[in-house]
Amino acid sequence: MAGPLDGIRVADFTWVWAGPTSTLQLAHMGAEVIRMESMRRPCVLRMLPPWLDGQIGLNRSGYFNQYNQGKRGITLNISSPEGRDIAKKLVAISDVAAENFAGGISDRLGLGYKDLSKVKSDLVMISMSGYGQTGPESGYVSYGPAQVPLSGMSQLTGYRELDQPMHVGMSYGDPNAGLHAAFAVIAALFHREKTGEGQYIDMSQWESTMAVMGDGFMEYAMNGSPPPRNGNRVDEMSPHGVFLCEGDDRWVSIACGSEEEWGALCNAMERPELTTDPRFATLADRKANEDALEALIMEWTIPRDPFEITKTLQAVGVAAFPPLVNRELADDPQLNARDFFVEKEHLEVGVRKHPGIPWKMSDTPCEVQRAAPVMGQDNDYVFGELLGMSSKQIADLVERQVIF
Amino acid sequence: MANRALEGLTIVECGATGAASYASKLMADLGAEVIKVEPPEGDPQRALGPFPGGDPHPEKSGAFLYRNCNKLGVTLDLTSNSGQAILRKLLKDADALIHDFPPTDAAARGLTYDAIGGDFPNLVMTSITPFGQDGPYRDYKAYDLTTLSAGGWAWLNGWPGHPELPPLRAFGRQAEYQSGVNGALATMGALFGRLKTERGQHIDISAQECITAILEMTFAFWPYMETPTARWGQRPIQPVDFFQCKDGAWMFVLCVEEHQWTSLVEMMGTPEWTTWEVAANRLVRASNWDALRPFMEEWVAEQDSADLYRLAQEKRIPLAPASTISDLVNSEHLKERGFFLEVTYPEAGAIKQPGAPYQFQSTPWEIRSPAPTLGQHNQAVLSERLGEDLSSLKEAGVI
Repeated sequence: MAGPLDGIRVADFTWVWAGPTSTLQLAHMGAEVIRMESMRRPCVLRMLPPWLDGQIGLNRSGYFNQYNQGKRGITLNISSPEGRDIAKKLVAISDVAAENFAGGISDRLGLGYKDLSKVKSDLVMISMSGYGQTGPESGYVSYGPAQVPLSGMSQLTGYRELDQPMHVGMSYGDPNAGLHAAFAVIAALFHREKTGEGQYIDMSQWESTMAVMGDGFMEYAMNGSPPPRNGNRVDEMSPHGVFLCEGDDRWVSIACGSEEEWGALCNAMERPELTTDPRFATLADRKANEDALEALIMEWTIPRDPFEITKTLQAVGVAAFPPLVNRELADDPQLNARDFFVEKEHLEVGVRKHPGIPWKMSDTPCEVQRAAPVMGQDNDYVFGELLGMSSKQIADLVERQVIF
Repeated sequence: MANRALEGLTIVECGATGAASYASKLMADLGAEVIKVEPPEGDPQRALGPFPGGDPHPEKSGAFLYRNCNKLGVTLDLTSNSGQAILRKLLKDADALIHDFPPTDAAARGLTYDAIGGDFPNLVMTSITPFGQDGPYRDYKAYDLTTLSAGGWAWLNGWPGHPELPPLRAFGRQAEYQSGVNGALATMGALFGRLKTERGQHIDISAQECITAILEMTFAFWPYMETPTARWGQRPIQPVDFFQCKDGAWMFVLCVEEHQWTSLVEMMGTPEWTTWEVAANRLVRASNWDALRPFMEEWVAEQDSADLYRLAQEKRIPLAPASTISDLVNSEHLKERGFFLEVTYPEAGAIKQPGAPYQFQSTPWEIRSPAPTLGQHNQAVLSERLGEDLSSLKEAGVI
């Protein structure tokens, strides 16, 4: 048995980042995921950088190739009635259908749950629109970057020095929604296995992003105001920050969660007297004098290498680590020792390093089965082998831009 | 027919951070029975705020309450032999064990797969740690900020043009949430696989890897173009930016597809922008963004945020406001979907909090009970189910 979802097939109507992240997890676990795309409207990610060597090309995007590892890819124009009929045939031999169009679009295309459950009665289907399928704003358009501000995360993240909401550096709403969606789909499959009953799941990316901001809502409910933007500081630890180091724009994160760790940090800095300094003796003292505390730590970090600091502090049990840049991640001894990265041969870009699967299973090992598909790479397999079309039929559909 | 998706599953959860708590919460909310095992002095999460009035109280921790609804709560000192023996009695009837102790702490509690797998071959055991079960940094000390740094997210977060300000954490201990949702996902996958294999297994989850796996397109810039990630992430297209409106609210202006840009500049009353070479497409706009940005800033500064949002969405331009918490709890849309719900906690009282991240058509997501008070279910679980004598356990300091 490959992964635990070996034998499960997914008809994947998703695109951009959120939806493909959900089906990526299913592929990681051994499901056969068949990604439907079309030249009529190629996936946005194929048209975003980085492209290999900077040359634009639909099959050259590292962004697309990262989140579509392990999947099969076909080109099918679902805006044509014939294309939709073929999509339904694929759904009929699948266990799961996944989509992340704006709310209501799949129904309008005739590919909503009520249509698809007619061809596969125990189908598990998930929709992952930005706003969900009901409510006055359900038809609104949304992309992952917008989920960060929409959910409130932008307002709660930020520096004390700047009165501005923060983008957080990535379109966090997308992968977070995708991971929650994958969990939901497997839970529904589990239920189906026990009862024979499939079902529909309406997921709102907005709501799944708010689900991981529990503390902000709890604070508001308890005290009537949101938590302040507080840079890297937190109430329960001090120091807790990211400090400038030697070199060009180099930093290290340091956090002390106990008096013992604070003492160890002071010793490592060769400033043992700080533990009894009335400004820093207790957590409350350090919180009250945090500017001075951070300035003292920075004095120590600025002439030092962040990786040396990490080694020194970790040796005495203090949490420290530099904020890694992509190049450092690619070379990181830990990630490499655990074989986290995947290097599979891709038809156009060859072997590139991609982040792999963040869990390891001892009995049903999960493995990235193949590199991301180039456009239409698996047309013959899916239309011919799975759906039983003759090569003549396939050629005719290509000719008429149904397979397109 | 079970009307909850995960009805019949029993999950034992123990740990030190929000990761294991969130993983088992996702399962509890779909109907699994979760038995949460806390040390006699309580889950360390109980010491984390927010607290009403800012006053710490173990039964009023927002961090704890939010992640622990729908669970049964028992106390056990897992560093003692008798505590571990009782845990093993609990595991007899459990389908999965989810914990987030770092390797050394886990070993001190008997929570290694070597110690557990042999006796419980059908159990799925999930270990969530900062760096995983092996490798040179396995025993590195880490808090959420550490993992966000090691995973590569902290580097991306900040405000362009302020290199003097450090790489930044995102709000709300997101490395815990991410390793938590991955924990739930992998556990669920293994439980599904077990229906066929009839065997349990061990799952090893690294929070660092959970973060590195979701860095959008930024990681790939190295293997594809040998370009190190810029601070503040890559911004290959524009507009993807914040602007302040007339009423002081912040609007996130985003155009992914060209037709959205065309509609936006029409709305701005400057359709000729579509003919400007410096704004020819999303990639070109990104390279010229410093020059283009002031024009848009000026226009947005004259708009009312609510009107702008509504009008843009009517034209299918994906703008979104930078919502405040108060905007969200008062949103008509979210009200109609019933997203927020009120949970009444024994000590902290009624709290309006986020509800379902997804709506299942046939098997509801639901909050059935508030988070347990410390040791609330010792009687029901330890005494009535396992036949333990609570008073002698208490005397021995095990509960």
